[in-house]
Amino acid sequence: MSYPFWDVPIGYGVLMAVIAVFHVFVSHFAIGGGLYLVVSEQLARKAGDSPRLEFLEKLSRFFVLVTLVAGALTGVGIWFIIGLIAPTATEALIHNYVWGWATEWTFFVVEIAAAMIYFYGWKTMTPRAHMAVGWVYFVFAWLSLFIINGIITFMLTPGQWLATGDFWDGFFNPTFWASLVLRTGVCVMLAGLYALLVASRYQAGEFKERTVRYTAGWGVVGLAVTALCQYWYWKAIPAAVVAKALQTMPTPIHSIEYSVWLAAGIGALLVVFGVLAPRRLSMAAAALLMVLGLAWFGAFEWFRESIRKPYVITGYIYGNGVELAKTASYKKDGYLAQVVYRTGDDGADLFRHACRSCHTLDGYKALKPVFDGTDRAFIAAIIRSAHLLKGNMPPFLGTAAEADKIADYLSQRLDKRPLAEIYKLEGVELGRKAYELRCGKCHVIGAASDKSKSFAGQSADDLNNMLNMAADLGAGMPAYTGAATERGALVSFLAQLGKGAKK
Amino acid sequence: MNLPDYEFLSAPLWLVTVLHLLTFTLHLVAMNFLLGGVFITLWSSARKRWDGPTAAGFTRIFPAATAATVTLGVAPLLFLQLVFHRQMYSAAIVSGWFWLLVIAAVIVAYYALYRASFEGQRTDRASKAALLLALLGLLYVSLVYSSVFSMAEQPALIRNLYAKDQSGWVWNPAVGDYGLRWLHMVLGAVTVGGFFVGLLGRNDMEVFATGKTFLVGGMVAAALTGMVYLLSLEQHLAALMHTPAIWALTAAVALSLVSLHFFFKKNFWLSGVTLFLSVAGMVFVRHTVRLLRLAGEFDPASWRVAPQWSPFAMFLVCFVVMLIVLAWMLRMFFGAKRNAA
Repeated sequence: MSYPFWDVPIGYGVLMAVIAVFHVFVSHFAIGGGLYLVVSEQLARKAGDSPRLEFLEKLSRFFVLVTLVAGALTGVGIWFIIGLIAPTATEALIHNYVWGWATEWTFFVVEIAAAMIYFYGWKTMTPRAHMAVGWVYFVFAWLSLFIINGIITFMLTPGQWLATGDFWDGFFNPTFWASLVLRTGVCVMLAGLYALLVASRYQAGEFKERTVRYTAGWGVVGLAVTALCQYWYWKAIPAAVVAKALQTMPTPIHSIEYSVWLAAGIGALLVVFGVLAPRRLSMAAAALLMVLGLAWFGAFEWFRESIRKPYVITGYIYGNGVELAKTASYKKDGYLAQVVYRTGDDGADLFRHACRSCHTLDGYKALKPVFDGTDRAFIAAIIRSAHLLKGNMPPFLGTAAEADKIADYLSQRLDKRPLAEIYKLEGVELGRKAYELRCGKCHVIGAASDKSKSFAGQSADDLNNMLNMAADLGAGMPAYTGAATERGALVSFLAQLGKGAKK
Repeated sequence: MNLPDYEFLSAPLWLVTVLHLLTFTLHLVAMNFLLGGVFITLWSSARKRWDGPTAAGFTRIFPAATAATVTLGVAPLLFLQLVFHRQMYSAAIVSGWFWLLVIAAVIVAYYALYRASFEGQRTDRASKAALLLALLGLLYVSLVYSSVFSMAEQPALIRNLYAKDQSGWVWNPAVGDYGLRWLHMVLGAVTVGGFFVGLLGRNDMEVFATGKTFLVGGMVAAALTGMVYLLSLEQHLAALMHTPAIWALTAAVALSLVSLHFFFKKNFWLSGVTLFLSVAGMVFVRHTVRLLRLAGEFDPASWRVAPQWSPFAMFLVCFVVMLIVLAWMLRMFFGAKRNAA
């Protein structure tokens, strides 16, 4: 809350994902591609394979253009974007890991210089010197991953650092090694996918056949390492972190499922073209492999980000920049006392700092559709109990008056017509909608929080009484404040749920 | 559990400052070579001067210069953020979109320079268009940097601008405050670009003359804009007079004249060293101006220092390894080129 808030209509998650997923897709290729180039060059020189050397020279040009420009600059872009959307977390990371990043910078400098020398040195350097530079490139690129991996995994599993504050405790954290080997596997897999794209441009023939076979092998080996390590990585995440995430949101599981299907798709295509029909690898097929690879990486990063919720640094800073160490002062003095840059509209300032990092009003993770047709008192109650909602949200640590201010701000921007009018619904369907808006934020049907069974055998009067005393039913339960028509419909729907549960 | 406090400096402030100023000076030299070089190449091309192998060779190294500028720019940005993140991020957030577009501008410029480098003869129109596009991209980046970093020195301005607009589409309106500073930087780049043109074209009378013209002209123009900028600082100028920065400024001006002397004598080694030291002096002055403008709002000395010596040692060792490996690779590369020639 020491910073202004960048109020953009695009969700922060989307902005971050676009830059970060693109960057990791290129930067991991930058590492694996370096290994592919130098190993393949060594083999080609040993075999006196001139066509292969010519192919590698072409690939190195593509490699330089992709990794040195788009890869390196989107890496800087990640710095830019995290400073804009998560300045507090970035500040914490920089203070703790400045020497990690500075070390990584020394590797980065060597990596960039080596890549250029390798590319420009094909015609002038001796084979031995050229390959030596290739190895230097790969080693330093991988060391770069080694350092960044320590900082990224720290954000998910800071481990002992939370108690000691020691650089190395945070760096060599519980997921460090699993993530490092997994990402190394990804590097090798992506080296295969990118090189296949270049190989696909060759005319069908003997050279294309052996090159595609050989390159697909890289993809398969990388994929196998990645798949095994994904399990190791999953198991390395502390059970408490996993349990909390899974209890309240399906996203991590969905993203794992997607990544498994995408990996299967990549594997299938690699086998088809690498083993069965290497001469038939077209540009379109190679491009499809690239798209699947990008999607796989997106799914994996999505998993990593979602399992970390509600934190940006687990156990230390919430996704909205609220620091756990300041919990007492937030509770005592409220958020506004900590907001340095004010606009004169307290409701808007509070909304931005408490909610806007993840939610927009009517765009990404929109709040309008989930609050339209409800009322200020309900919204305020929901804000106060944010940590109990599905979606693994951070708690609201401000004062009750501040929750009311956010509720005021939101309710002024909502559709205030009755639900029946907004959604043109009646009867049980209206009740279903009312349930979704007023109850389903916590009690997801079919999930652990489903209370359907408790409605079994209850009369309409019983259910009405239950709604009357909703606020007393449990910590964080909001009072029922909906209109009479909506209440009647909700009771009908609850009765139907009870019947279903009874069966 | 008492959670760790992250509000500390993991090395003494002087050490962080030295690293920041040193790496920033290196970044400036690479950036000046690039920005000044592209400008001079385009200007010469428009005037139909020195079309030939020297200029083509110059164009060929622009991608490498871009790589050097970017990589050498990362470290000073890191050290700057470590100490001044509150000011820097706040200013960047207010101009969020312009700030983020810096990345897109550099990517476009970088690819344009590769285009010119791979394909272009200087007479090729597409190649010139690529160079022009790159120049525009680089000028955009320099302008955004001047605007944002100038804003970062004025927290009250950030507060006012943010209160009015939170969209990230706010351009620093105090053009008078950073316009001269930006112009001074650009002219400084042209000056250093002139030096490198003279160095690379030392055996070609016309190219050397072009380099000399830009070195001298750029230096005079940069000195004038720098002087006017200093005068515009008003009360901060008076404060500056009582800091060591005034001696650094005097030395920097003197060194730039010495550099000129050696340049005329074609002693590029001494000319380059004195020019580098002159830039380093200017960087120190710039740093002092930042501290003076932030006085009362923020004092870097207020940071709690809790050194992390073992991670620092790791950095130091890797830094030395970096220098050794770079020297070894460059020696091999240029040795091979000489042999091939």
